[in-house]
Amino acid sequence: MAITAMDNQTTHRRSRTRARLADFSSRWSFMLPAAIILFAVLVYPIFYTLQISFSRLDLASFTASQWVGWDNYSTVLRDDRFWQSMQVTGIYLLFALPIQMVLGFGIAYLINAPWKGRDVVRALFIIPMVVAPVVAGGVWRMILDPLWGLMNYWLGQIGIGPIDWLGTPSLAMATIVIIDTWRWTPFVILIATAALLSLPKDVFEAADIDGANWWTKLWSIALPLLLPIIAATFVVRWLGAVKMFDIVLAATLGGPGGATNVINLFIYEQAFRTLRFAESSAMAVIVLVITMVLTGAFLFGIRKLEDVQ
Amino acid sequence: MTVCTVIGRRALLAASLGLMVSGSVGAVLAQDNLYGTAEAPVEIRMIANEAFAGQWQDAMVTEFNKHYPGIKVVIDGVPYPELLAKSMLDATGPEPTYDIIIADDPWIPQLAEAGVLLDLKKDAAQWTDAGYDWDDFNAAPLAASEWNGVQYGVPLRSNLLLMFYNKSLYDKAGVPQPTPELTWTDYMAQGEKLVQDTNGDGQIDAWGVDTYFNRDVLTPTIWQTILNSNGGQLLDENNKAAFNNDLGKAALQTHIDLLKFAPTGGSSHSFNESLQAFRQGQVATMFMWGSVFKGTAVDPKTTTLTTDQVGIQVMPVGSESAGAHRGIWSGAVNNKSRNPAAAWALLQWLSSKEGEVWHSNTLGVFPARKSTLASTPEQEWLTPVFAALQMGYEMVDTGHMWRPRDPKSDAVQQVLADETSRAISGQIDVAGALASAEQKINEIMGN
Repeated sequence: MAITAMDNQTTHRRSRTRARLADFSSRWSFMLPAAIILFAVLVYPIFYTLQISFSRLDLASFTASQWVGWDNYSTVLRDDRFWQSMQVTGIYLLFALPIQMVLGFGIAYLINAPWKGRDVVRALFIIPMVVAPVVAGGVWRMILDPLWGLMNYWLGQIGIGPIDWLGTPSLAMATIVIIDTWRWTPFVILIATAALLSLPKDVFEAADIDGANWWTKLWSIALPLLLPIIAATFVVRWLGAVKMFDIVLAATLGGPGGATNVINLFIYEQAFRTLRFAESSAMAVIVLVITMVLTGAFLFGIRKLEDVQ
Repeated sequence: MTVCTVIGRRALLAASLGLMVSGSVGAVLAQDNLYGTAEAPVEIRMIANEAFAGQWQDAMVTEFNKHYPGIKVVIDGVPYPELLAKSMLDATGPEPTYDIIIADDPWIPQLAEAGVLLDLKKDAAQWTDAGYDWDDFNAAPLAASEWNGVQYGVPLRSNLLLMFYNKSLYDKAGVPQPTPELTWTDYMAQGEKLVQDTNGDGQIDAWGVDTYFNRDVLTPTIWQTILNSNGGQLLDENNKAAFNNDLGKAALQTHIDLLKFAPTGGSSHSFNESLQAFRQGQVATMFMWGSVFKGTAVDPKTTTLTTDQVGIQVMPVGSESAGAHRGIWSGAVNNKSRNPAAAWALLQWLSSKEGEVWHSNTLGVFPARKSTLASTPEQEWLTPVFAALQMGYEMVDTGHMWRPRDPKSDAVQQVLADETSRAISGQIDVAGALASAEQKINEIMGN
């Protein structure tokens, strides 16, 4: 009798192990193709970049030929152009992101009320996002040209200008921020609109009954409820903005001087124009680490905000 | 015995003839295999700048196939900024796609150092036509595809940085039209007069000059040419920076001073903006690549000017000579090509005396050969261009007016572009820009 119970237990354990194994295999059989693709297209290039950043790249075979330790990193960190580009990127992010967030959520709040033609306006907002960035940069370059551009023509009609938008170092960065804001604010608007539509109506109705005005409803209800969405949108835009270089490439080529030479343009030039792939890989790794750390800090901050709420 | 001997001799003769015939057929077959046949063509692929790849595919390949019907040519156009990297990535692979690489002036050393190019005078000698005249090339354009004593390419599209001038604007300003004897001092003195109100409405509507001013790798070529005209060089024989001196400072300052006579917003101008301003009759002079002459003075679809209104000549004279700056597109054969003979046949034909004349007369492409430049072109507008080119080649050769010849040339040029742009935009003074460029370039060159 005891033997039979033990046998049953053993059989039960075996069948449980078998079931677990079957479960494990079936899960991995579904996950494996995706994992392989993910490894091939994401992990492998990152590790290859990392390998090149610690090596001398043999252009004849296009492979890492010799381990050079931290040499490439040391060269990059001593290059004042790298630090200038980091600084330029910082200035761009400091201005572009807050402007886009405030404008995006502000416009979304303003157009949130139901009115005729709202859907058409929302659809029109998508246009700048789908215009290729290089085209956007080129078109804006034409609009802002001091000699032939529409902008200076209009300003000239009211006695202003001509303004050299792209040739003056401080104005050139402002111009890049304007172009980038034109391009990406609609993205923020779309997310903000969706977020606003999902807000519970009963809270606002209760506020109306309590006699809350427009500002109180915005400041005390809408903003706190939107905070997680605002934070998430900020992180998504931050990750996109850190990679920006195409608009600069088309509009200013990083100039005048190095006034708009954002870090990604600098890395691109060093890699594909001057073929300094090893140093460029080191720069890319540095930027990757900084971006990861800052993104981690933002996500930590978002969680804290949510906890506070 | 005699019969046997006779039969034996006949058999021997027949056998010999048979061998000779089969040998000839074999040679012919081998020849056909190298260059293909209409029924069984060999395919060669070329990577080239997209600016002219389409034109070549449509017109040049059709003409080439009249001579070599068995060679199928496919040309892939790539935008200029990515062309070197893509050419290099492909050429260094185990099985490269491209048999022919079309390289800009400073790229041959980089490709040669990577060990991917065929030595045309040695490895391709067996396929070189006996009548192919190497000595007929002007020295300067041919030297663009030479590296460490080895000829890796041939000039296919030759170009020089030259001075364009609008004769009407000179006449309106009452300034004598430029001649090849015009000095930089005279030119700068005339600049102010060339900024003018041409229609009397009280607004300035024509300016003195437009050229490269923005952060472009070709922008430094303007002051490099001024430096060369004054007897200076960018790098010395040990590849150390040699421009941080009075000659260099004067050259860069002259380039910056040109902005005084440039249109509003000129500091962000380069190739496209300069061309637009000149072609719309808004600037009196333009320092630009000669190859734009047709679109600037001849083709009504792209310009408001006519051939009578546009002059072309070498850039003004410095203390040593007039100036020009070399920009040659050379054709080179990948040494891993499966059809090197066919690839060399295309380059050989296009750079031959016959091919060059066709190329220049039909497509308006500038030649490199002395014989072509001495000939009378079919298109009249080419006559003053040929004269300017021949003079320019000689200046370039004497004054070594080209970008640094080194595998790190592009890195050097990028540093020069950065520092030139900083100086032009007033972010740094001339002395500071040159000192900074000197330090960075010496570091890049390992000095």
